[in-house]
Amino acid sequence: MSVLKIKDVSKIFANGTVRAVDNFSLDVADGELVCLLGPSGSGKSTLLRMVGGFERPTSGLMIINGEDITHVPPEKRPTGMVFQSHALWTHMNVFKNLAFGLKLRKVAPDEIKRRVEGVLDLVGLGGYGTRHVAQLSGGQQQRVALARSLVLEPKILLLDEPFASLDQHLRERLREEVRDIQQRLKITTLFVTHGQDEALSMADRIVVMRDGKTEQIDRPDIVYREPQTPFVAGFIGTMNLIEGTVSNGIFSKAGYSTPLPVSDGPAILAVRPEALDLTVANDNAQGKVHRVTDYGTHGLVDLELLDSTRVKAMVSHPDLFRAGQGVRLAPKAIAAYRDNAVIHRA
Amino acid sequence: MTTIDSGHIAPVQAERRRPYGLLLVAAPVLLVVWLIIWPIISAVITTLWVQTPEGSEFSTGTYQFFFSDGYSLSNLSVTLWTTGVCAILLLLICLPIALYLRFSDSKVAGYVQGLAIFPMFVPSIILSFAFIRVLGPNGTVDLLANAMGLPKIRSPYLTAWGPVIGLVWDNIPLTVLILLSGLGNVSNQAIEAARDVGARKLQVLWYIILPRIGNSVLVAISFAVLGIFSSFTLPYVLGPAAPEMMGPFMQRTFRELFDPRNAITQAVITFGFCIVFGLFYVRSVAKNRTP
Repeated sequence: MSVLKIKDVSKIFANGTVRAVDNFSLDVADGELVCLLGPSGSGKSTLLRMVGGFERPTSGLMIINGEDITHVPPEKRPTGMVFQSHALWTHMNVFKNLAFGLKLRKVAPDEIKRRVEGVLDLVGLGGYGTRHVAQLSGGQQQRVALARSLVLEPKILLLDEPFASLDQHLRERLREEVRDIQQRLKITTLFVTHGQDEALSMADRIVVMRDGKTEQIDRPDIVYREPQTPFVAGFIGTMNLIEGTVSNGIFSKAGYSTPLPVSDGPAILAVRPEALDLTVANDNAQGKVHRVTDYGTHGLVDLELLDSTRVKAMVSHPDLFRAGQGVRLAPKAIAAYRDNAVIHRA
Repeated sequence: MTTIDSGHIAPVQAERRRPYGLLLVAAPVLLVVWLIIWPIISAVITTLWVQTPEGSEFSTGTYQFFFSDGYSLSNLSVTLWTTGVCAILLLLICLPIALYLRFSDSKVAGYVQGLAIFPMFVPSIILSFAFIRVLGPNGTVDLLANAMGLPKIRSPYLTAWGPVIGLVWDNIPLTVLILLSGLGNVSNQAIEAARDVGARKLQVLWYIILPRIGNSVLVAISFAVLGIFSSFTLPYVLGPAAPEMMGPFMQRTFRELFDPRNAITQAVITFGFCIVFGLFYVRSVAKNRTP
């Protein structure tokens, strides 16, 4: 059963020209973690803020547990939000930050103490209650911000790029911890990020957004392996997108051609670097090696087709290739797009 | 292995030790000592060391006179009353304006800010004249009330409320600007987080915003009090002849009663009250600078 239902929601900002969210619909199931993923300006944060009640939809409905909350103010919504900048109240210590919401709900002092200490233990900050917020590291502050939302036991947890201000190492550790806590508490979560790694590693489902619209909603593995649009293909992971033409079942682009059993016309060929085999060829070369980067575990060959279109290929023995060498390309798995839709996958 | 050659470090350290910073502040510090600190010391000495035919002798006579004279005390109390009322009114008027300016995105906010800052550019004497023309006897308000058949309203001109209205109007810009600067430190997300955990608007103001701008409120009030306590033009033009605020009282004692020693004593006492608020200000600034 869906806990959160977003139905045909649009948000047009005051000047009437910016359509931040455009006719967006989504059902989030109980205990599910859904990532809203997209580039800056794709409308994901606006959508999250609408769920939290900080923005009002121009049209559409928002329903939580069967109750229409579209016009309910944030203080009356059963949601808890974790902000990108932590948004901790610096004039309060950690305990008071967590207890504030409970005090407003007139929870008994003993119960407040029990719940605050319980949540602090949950986020690994047991004994930090008397610490001042300014004395905490960025990661600890983010944990406090998470605990502040969790202590109120919201029906839906909203995370607005919560790790954006943290360094890479801390980000990776915290996302694992957040995922653990989310699964332990089975709390329905909506998570905004523009980091594909975060989305792929944490989400039950990913919503890829662009210009306020949904590009694709799927499980992370499907979004990665079977992107529905060229935008998703290019946005998730590294993807070679080669624009060419199909004639008589052959896709061709500047000296490179490969069979593509679709009708004649323009097409975009999508090949992941790891799905592109390279062979050194002195004659009939389809491209030329531009640069080879050795990452230790694998190598990345940056090559140019005859019209200077850049293509990347992942290789297990980068030492076999060097700049200026002629190569032939053999894709193992391809997808082809036309008019923003998949026309072939193999 | 990396080594540090102390020969390269030494000149840098020596350069750092040169008192460039102290030299930069030396001129203003000397001016302050010359124009402010020395007159204060001189004033205190003048009031406490009396010249007699036998030479100079220590005396607290002028202070004893001030604190035993009913008229002097009523002048001091009217000054304290005016300052207190102005401070409260300024907070009540300026805080909502500053909150509106901080959190409103509308175009109207720009005009409101312009209007709030406008009094800063109006000299006190012009303000006094405008006040008399608008709120004085037979002023615009009187004429309008008369035209509408309303009863005559008692004008605040030459009453204790005259200086209050003028001083509040005069101090609105600085108070709004200081409060606005304090509110700039309260992030939108901190407020949204409070609303997210269930705080209503007044609770957000009481529990989140006001504690965060406490220092700014203290600074704004200190500034306003310092200016109002020692103000002269507005109380002189708009206020009653008796009791009067310390500014006009000092001037009259000096110019009309030809009693410089008592006038200086009044100035020292006024300074004593002002320095208390000055210390509040210094404490706030120091607190803000503490990491």
